[in-house]
Amino acid sequence: MRQEVFRMERVTYIEKGIKRLEDFNLQIYQGEIMGLIPINAHGLQELLLLMQTNMPLYDGHIYYCGERINSWKNPRRCANRIGIIDANSRLVEHMTVTDNIFVLRQGFRQEVIQNKLLRKQLEPFMSDIEVDIVADAYVDRLSAFERVVVELLRAVVAGYRLIVLNEISTVINGEELAKLYEIIHHYGRRGFSFLYVSPHLEEIMEVCDRVALLSNGRIQKVAQGEEMKAEIVEGYTLEFDRMVRYHMENRNQAVWQKKEILSFSHVTGEVLQDFNMKVYEGECLVIQNLDNQVFQDILQVLYGDRKVKKGNCFISGKRVQLPASKEIAVIAAEPTKTMIFGELSYMDNLCMGLSRRVPGVWKRNMRESVRKEYGPVLGEEVFGMPVERLSEKQKYQMVYTRVLLQKPRVVVCVQPFKGADLAHRVFVWKMMEMLLDKGMSVVILTINLADSMSLADRLIRIGKDGIIQEINREDFGSLSITAPWLSLYRTE
Amino acid sequence: MREEYRLKYLSNRVLLLGVVTLVYFVIEAVHNVLLGIRGEETVLQAGIYVLLALGYFMIVWFGIILPYRRSELLVHRFLDGYLTESRDFAEVFQSPSMKQQMDEIEKILRSPRMIDMNKRQAQYLALQNQINPHFLYNTLESIRGEALIAGLDSVADMTEALAKFFRYTITNVENLVTVQEELDNCETYFLIQKYRFGNRLRLHIHYDTEDWEDIMNCKIPKLTLQPILENSIIHGTELKIGTGNLRIQFERTVERLLIRISDDGVGMDEETLARLNRKLGRDGSVLIHGEERKGGIALGNVNSRIHLIFGEEYGLHVYSVPQKGTDVEITIPFAVDEKRMKASFM
Repeated sequence: MRQEVFRMERVTYIEKGIKRLEDFNLQIYQGEIMGLIPINAHGLQELLLLMQTNMPLYDGHIYYCGERINSWKNPRRCANRIGIIDANSRLVEHMTVTDNIFVLRQGFRQEVIQNKLLRKQLEPFMSDIEVDIVADAYVDRLSAFERVVVELLRAVVAGYRLIVLNEISTVINGEELAKLYEIIHHYGRRGFSFLYVSPHLEEIMEVCDRVALLSNGRIQKVAQGEEMKAEIVEGYTLEFDRMVRYHMENRNQAVWQKKEILSFSHVTGEVLQDFNMKVYEGECLVIQNLDNQVFQDILQVLYGDRKVKKGNCFISGKRVQLPASKEIAVIAAEPTKTMIFGELSYMDNLCMGLSRRVPGVWKRNMRESVRKEYGPVLGEEVFGMPVERLSEKQKYQMVYTRVLLQKPRVVVCVQPFKGADLAHRVFVWKMMEMLLDKGMSVVILTINLADSMSLADRLIRIGKDGIIQEINREDFGSLSITAPWLSLYRTE
Repeated sequence: MREEYRLKYLSNRVLLLGVVTLVYFVIEAVHNVLLGIRGEETVLQAGIYVLLALGYFMIVWFGIILPYRRSELLVHRFLDGYLTESRDFAEVFQSPSMKQQMDEIEKILRSPRMIDMNKRQAQYLALQNQINPHFLYNTLESIRGEALIAGLDSVADMTEALAKFFRYTITNVENLVTVQEELDNCETYFLIQKYRFGNRLRLHIHYDTEDWEDIMNCKIPKLTLQPILENSIIHGTELKIGTGNLRIQFERTVERLLIRISDDGVGMDEETLARLNRKLGRDGSVLIHGEERKGGIALGNVNSRIHLIFGEEYGLHVYSVPQKGTDVEITIPFAVDEKRMKASFM
């Protein structure tokens, strides 16, 4: 007999007059790893919110560990004992691993903190999952994987029976992900349940017992076993497969000239040491970061937050300062949140990049001509809308069109698929393909290879010691990772 | 002025009066505090006024505004098609006559007549065109006899299955039956359909062997599974090219029995699915909005009967992906003792 750990029964949740969840049903059993694929992200944040906190419901009931914790009849605004782990750390900075796991937990009553005892208490947990993290290490110095493990252990120690892992593959790399799967299977066997949220079907297939499809705030389908493959994968990846196949054929036919456009020579940052790299004209280069600190270092250099200690960056042989160069555009991670300026109009947002190339862009006639040219593509209605009210797709379109207007030679996309649901991933993919078609070089900085692989011409894997591996497109098939499009390269 | 803010509504007049009184209290409190600071009045007097203003606000907020908002939400839900019980208003009623009105509405909605209506509808749906059942049994038996004499075994088997199906459907619809009995009836029904569809139709039954005995003895309303199975064939697999697979999956938890009837037929689009689930969640839609149940009559009927017998927490929910199939999930409290079950729910 199966034990239900969590159940949402016909939940309708309304926020600001909009139905975020409607007739929402979900049940998670004890020891189960339940997958959740957001076909579109409508309602996902609210679902996570309702799992954490009991907000007033319009209809339905929520049960956790056999107890009704929320109901439309009796709203109780209180927090639930459900752990959520995602890209943002929920650990308390400037405190050690043991402090976060044991001391900050509810019910910790020791008045004098005995570090030696806490270290001893942590040992069996670490040996159980075969992970070695220094117990006295400050959590802000941990790698992303270690941080995730500490958050997981904190939830386990606190006795949370359900732990949500939200888009965790955007935080840790493939090898670490495989290790994390071992850990969650281990705790699954011990009766802990997990909700694994990811738009990556291959991850869900690998780790989950069942999967639910979330679309427009409703669960469209729950599948398990063979159904998962037959109904979910085939149903939702066919279009994407077709796109990728078509793209690969086009790239195969293209005549390549290895003309160097961007190069890094002996670049040294805080962690990054003596880094050399070349980007060729019109290529799509994927840089997979296997170390989180190196990743942060590269980002800070790109955004101009940190100056390089040593080394230079060249564009077509000319030395340039990275963020200032108009030849390079950077699209930050989650651009619909980070690259939209709410206080500016749509047109101002759109023309920002262009102003680096054409100083007179703020003149009325210039802007009119931009509107005339891009109005039919973007839709006339968006020019009169406050940017915050644009749909997610319109926001993506605006950011990528902004880059297109700037006409840089190299576009660096930082985790372009992060935070995007299944529908928007396809859109982002198309936008990047459009940049490539315009002859620009696209550099994708990522941790997860799943979607980026489908566009890549070359892959560079970077760790603490610089470039670990460089692989050309024709050798992608030999990669020993789980990525959906590898089969297409293998059949080439 | 927007309609909801007009003073023709008593609630807005009360609100206006409350705000005016509150403003008066606040002005008095501020005035007295200022006098207190100047030394023209004692601090105690000023304090009393501040406390009065605060107390008035608290009483109005917790005693009137919040309960009023709650009762408004319940009315909105009722208008949206949800059936609301009188005890949901238990916190506060707007007037004694309104309480009486709610009790009366509830009496009508929960009356035995209403339950009976649903049972009869179930019977009707199962039989479609009801003709004299006894006459039909006898005729079917005669046909079977003739078929056996003529050596037409398949005709005899088919006739036997049809007679068995009719007998089960007609008798004691008001009773709860075991899952085993319902499943037997489903298999009989499937056998009849097999004569029509041949190998194009397959039925698979899945369950956890450990719980099998418990599940088979669990009590459920009669004619719960067959109408949904029929729906899956007619709206799912019949329209599909190639073999159609139907699956009945049983799962038991500590408190509930979950039955999932799936097909790999044509499925339905998201909008239709949302509309169907909306209807299933709101029993009152038909009564309040006079919505005609276009399609999903069988599902609506089974769902209404489960709601009426076991309460709104149980019932049906539909999942579907276009061109991939539809799943109907039935949730019923797990109980093997009919008497205890009736005592708990009826």
